[in-house]
Amino acid sequence: MDKRLRNALKGLTSPDAESRRRAMEPFVRATFNIFIRHLYRYLGNEVECEDVLEDVYADIWENPDHLRDIANDAHLLRTVYLYYMRKRLREVYRRMNRNLALSQADLENLVAPEMGLHDLTEQAELKQLLHRMLGKLKARERKAIEMWMQGMSNRAIANQLKTTVGAVKMLEFRTILKLRRMMKDYSDEED
Amino acid sequence: MANLNREIQELLADYGVALRDGCLPAFLKSLTREEARAIRESDDFWAATEMVRLMNSAGFGDKVVAPDVGLFISRVDAAIVSRQKRASASTRSPSRNRVNL
Repeated sequence: MDKRLRNALKGLTSPDAESRRRAMEPFVRATFNIFIRHLYRYLGNEVECEDVLEDVYADIWENPDHLRDIANDAHLLRTVYLYYMRKRLREVYRRMNRNLALSQADLENLVAPEMGLHDLTEQAELKQLLHRMLGKLKARERKAIEMWMQGMSNRAIANQLKTTVGAVKMLEFRTILKLRRMMKDYSDEED
Repeated sequence: MANLNREIQELLADYGVALRDGCLPAFLKSLTREEARAIRESDDFWAATEMVRLMNSAGFGDKVVAPDVGLFISRVDAAIVSRQKRASASTRSPSRNRVNL
């Protein structure tokens, strides 16, 4: 773990609130990019990510107990997600729940799930892994996923593949499940 | 009467697009009771959402870089100061503010 981050963590777990406040700046500088990218997985919206992260850091300042004895970067991200981010992610949509057909538990599982497959994998490694998995797909499946990842709409993808939107959705669904199985096999092999 | 509820693959595709485009609330609000039930009962849906999140992160995660972390740090500091004030206000003795009747 980076020395700057280790020192900031030491300051953050101090019993004195002012020392914790001073330690927050180096802590934010060292972790902002990692945390915001992780939050983006669940929110997909930069503005909301920043709002949630602001509360997460303030929560850490207020109650930093979970951050004692952090061993490495992955442990830090896991702890911050489980103890601070999930709580805030759930609150983002709690207000809406009254008007939703989804149950509270399903809503929470959708917006703030348990940590899953490759959730701690670094961005660059994840990209590489996904690229390798995409290479194993059939041409049409790979094309559909690549176009989706370029931000194209399902209608545009359907036009490119000369098929219907419904068929594209089915193709995406099957391919995503296939990719997940590949990822799972890969992690099992790694273990 | 025709069944207007979306199939599970359509729900997954719509969830994926909503997450990618940053409009998850619109997707959540669009769900009918039947669709919510279909989601709850589909293991495939939950497995696929996990993969969609990873794809979203790999494809678009890099675009979330703050142009000015300093500005963000001042927001965090302001939030901390506000919590400090709130905490000291709540621990202040209530007798100080009491009006003598």
